[in-house]
Amino acid sequence: MSATGAAAGRLERREGRVRSLADYYATTMRTTIQRNFQYRAATYGYTIGMVAEPTIYLVVWSTIARGEGGSIGGLDPGHFAAYYIVWTLVRIMNITFTPYGWEWRIREGQLSGWLLKPIHPIHYDIAWFAGQKLPWLVMYVPIGVGLSLAFHPVFHTSPLSVVVFLVAIWGAYLVRSIGLWLLGMCTFWTTRGSAIFETYLLAELLLSGRLLPLQLMPHWSQTLAAVLPFKWTFYFPIEALIGGYSTGTLLRGLGFQLLWIAAGALTVKVFWRVSVRHYSAVGN
Amino acid sequence: MPLVEVSGLTKVFRVPEREAGMRAATRSLFRRQWREVRAVDGISFAIEPGEVVGFLGPNGAGKTTTLKMLSGLLYPTGGELRVLGHVPSGREREYLRRMTLVMGNRNQLQWDLPALDSFELNRAIYRLPRDDFARTRDELIDLLDIGDLVRKPVRQLSLGERMKVEVVGSLLHLPQVLFLDEPTIGLDVTMQKRIRAFVADYNARYGATVLLTSHYMADVEALCRRVIVIHHGQLLFDGALAALTHRFAPQKTIEAVLADGETIRLSVPKEEASAATARLLAEHEVLDLTVEEPPIEDVIERVFASGAPA
Amino acid sequence: MNTLRLAFVFLRLGALNELQYRANFFVAAFQALLSVGVGIVVLLLVYSHTTSLNGWSESELLVVLGVQLLLGGIVTTAIQPNMQQLTDDVQQGKLDFLLTKPEDAQMLVSLRVVQIWQSVDVLSGAIVVAVGAARVGAGLGVVQALAFVGLLLLGAFLLYCFWLILATGSFWIIDMWFLANLWDGVFQTGRWPIGIYPGWLRYSMTYLIPIGFAVTVPAQALTGRLQWSTVGLAVGFAVVLGAFTRWFWRFGLRRYAGASA
Repeated sequence: MSATGAAAGRLERREGRVRSLADYYATTMRTTIQRNFQYRAATYGYTIGMVAEPTIYLVVWSTIARGEGGSIGGLDPGHFAAYYIVWTLVRIMNITFTPYGWEWRIREGQLSGWLLKPIHPIHYDIAWFAGQKLPWLVMYVPIGVGLSLAFHPVFHTSPLSVVVFLVAIWGAYLVRSIGLWLLGMCTFWTTRGSAIFETYLLAELLLSGRLLPLQLMPHWSQTLAAVLPFKWTFYFPIEALIGGYSTGTLLRGLGFQLLWIAAGALTVKVFWRVSVRHYSAVGN
Repeated sequence: MPLVEVSGLTKVFRVPEREAGMRAATRSLFRRQWREVRAVDGISFAIEPGEVVGFLGPNGAGKTTTLKMLSGLLYPTGGELRVLGHVPSGREREYLRRMTLVMGNRNQLQWDLPALDSFELNRAIYRLPRDDFARTRDELIDLLDIGDLVRKPVRQLSLGERMKVEVVGSLLHLPQVLFLDEPTIGLDVTMQKRIRAFVADYNARYGATVLLTSHYMADVEALCRRVIVIHHGQLLFDGALAALTHRFAPQKTIEAVLADGETIRLSVPKEEASAATARLLAEHEVLDLTVEEPPIEDVIERVFASGAPA
Repeated sequence: MNTLRLAFVFLRLGALNELQYRANFFVAAFQALLSVGVGIVVLLLVYSHTTSLNGWSESELLVVLGVQLLLGGIVTTAIQPNMQQLTDDVQQGKLDFLLTKPEDAQMLVSLRVVQIWQSVDVLSGAIVVAVGAARVGAGLGVVQALAFVGLLLLGAFLLYCFWLILATGSFWIIDMWFLANLWDGVFQTGRWPIGIYPGWLRYSMTYLIPIGFAVTVPAQALTGRLQWSTVGLAVGFAVVLGAFTRWFWRFGLRRYAGASA
């Protein structure tokens, strides 16, 4: 039958692996941008809630600095303003798929669908949220401008630091995405995924520079932060832009991000196989 | 060479057991009691390429579990299973590209966007060359006549329309094996017919093998020449639908309205049906006469009730 | 009063419903523990760099933290679930059932849902308040305690009005689900004395989103900072806001009933 023959011919032709992965990322990102334009109002509402967090920190620490003679730990209100305004940008960049999303996905029965597609679902999640960055960044511009006018940031920036910053924010995105994907896989094993996630958020708040620049944290937590991946999701990209780092420090930081991405990816690969096996014993 | 080879397939679930009440709940915090459920218990069959096979069984019979094992979502506890030469639970890429699973009432397409955009995503996932993809897509859209539906956001479609676009989305990569789990559930009669006709068309056009589960007899009657009946995890019958009727309900019902107002219903073996009818007509004055096959539903119920393996 | 009786009926129903899900208690308790933990850690960090924030000491801010947690608990237990339900019902056209009941619609809409397990936050907040107040040692008498409770209830009332006004907005703008996100972020401003915020932010947080009145004022009662003028202002504001909320609600409801007819 000619149709079957033609179909058989179509069956055999596939695109190459690398090209198709890039194609997949491009397609997914395009899809999510389209979707985001539909939900503008909701995104604005979410953004206002999100900006409240750094604004509060900014005001609190600046007030303390002013009360303590202009600066604490060598950081003055100008530096705090710069830190938290860039924080907002970095925060937008590191929003990613959370264990809550995993729970929803399993509950709705969509995970089974993903297990039967010839592509690892992590690519979808990373591409999806990566695509979202573009409309969000467009929204960030007026917010960034507004905050700058209100709080007078002081930047110590060089051309190299800008370049490193632009790379580092994507590095931060990947470090956090892979880390949260690992946490998300815990939902295969337990229904208490949200508790694990909230504990993670606590650790992140204290050890990533999300709450305040790490220089102001007690020494023991600075040591801890140095060996954990959190610092590379907030503190490093922010300080890369505004902290006046040396070239060596900047490049070393990028190296650390790469290290954590590689370690995370390897762990995902191993843990995924085990988790899917466990899930396939029971299924949904 | 059979496309699907199943031998002694078994699936056992360990289910936590708990009674109601406060005390039992507290106890269960410390010591869990487990119960074994044999969802699928030693099933064997083989399916040739191009067949359309229906899995029949009441709820909880094990047919969806069997289908999930065939598609690779569950791995079996025992027995051997091969589809397209692959072991499904290995979920090899080559296998996943040649099959598709459609579950009634589950959405895999993007909710907020037109179906066409989701089709694009599938093109990228299955690595389909653009021109081949476009041709297949347009053929399928034409076959199901959903040209105007694919441009509307999926959330704006009715249940039946959503099912149609979901089905097209899952066939864009021209799979050789289709696993359909309750594909017409919740749809109105017209839509059910539409989906059935489409599956038959797809099978004819592309030579794909179709395995479907349903508890709508109409699905099976319309599409499947071969039926596998599963109950309590065991295979009760495997063969042609006609043979099923013949084995489990080898009778016909004769209903006659007599001149004196009485209505007689006789159940006679099929071979004797014509003789019985002739005698009835000869010995009584008959105003109205109907000779019927028992409804398939009754036959199936009889099969389930018998519970004995074929 | 009828409203009170109705409130108890709903409370009992909600409690019976939720008591089935014992697991949710542990979830809520864990979250409450985390909230308190984070709050205290942040306070410790702040006070490792200073001894006074805008004139407030560590123990005084502990009281503020406690009040914020307590009020937050009241919101997530009794206010937010109702308002969320209201916006959902408006979106799905299910409000009509409510309107045919012989009770006042605003009462029904505000009382029918109770998330009993979230009251763990109220408890943890109260404990933090007690600890903080003890350390402040501002000489707690009956007057202060009564003022505190009264102002707390006033604060809860103000937050209720704010939420109801926003939820009433759903009669016009259908998509209000971002409310929860917005709230979580903005309510955090209540942990710190409003004096630290620049002028425009301070005014917004006092009058636009009445966090200043709701959180700081009751805290002032326990830390010896309360002035009668503030109490008068708070009460006056509550009366005005309450009246406006009632009017706005009925306005929205009339429009809704007209629209769906």
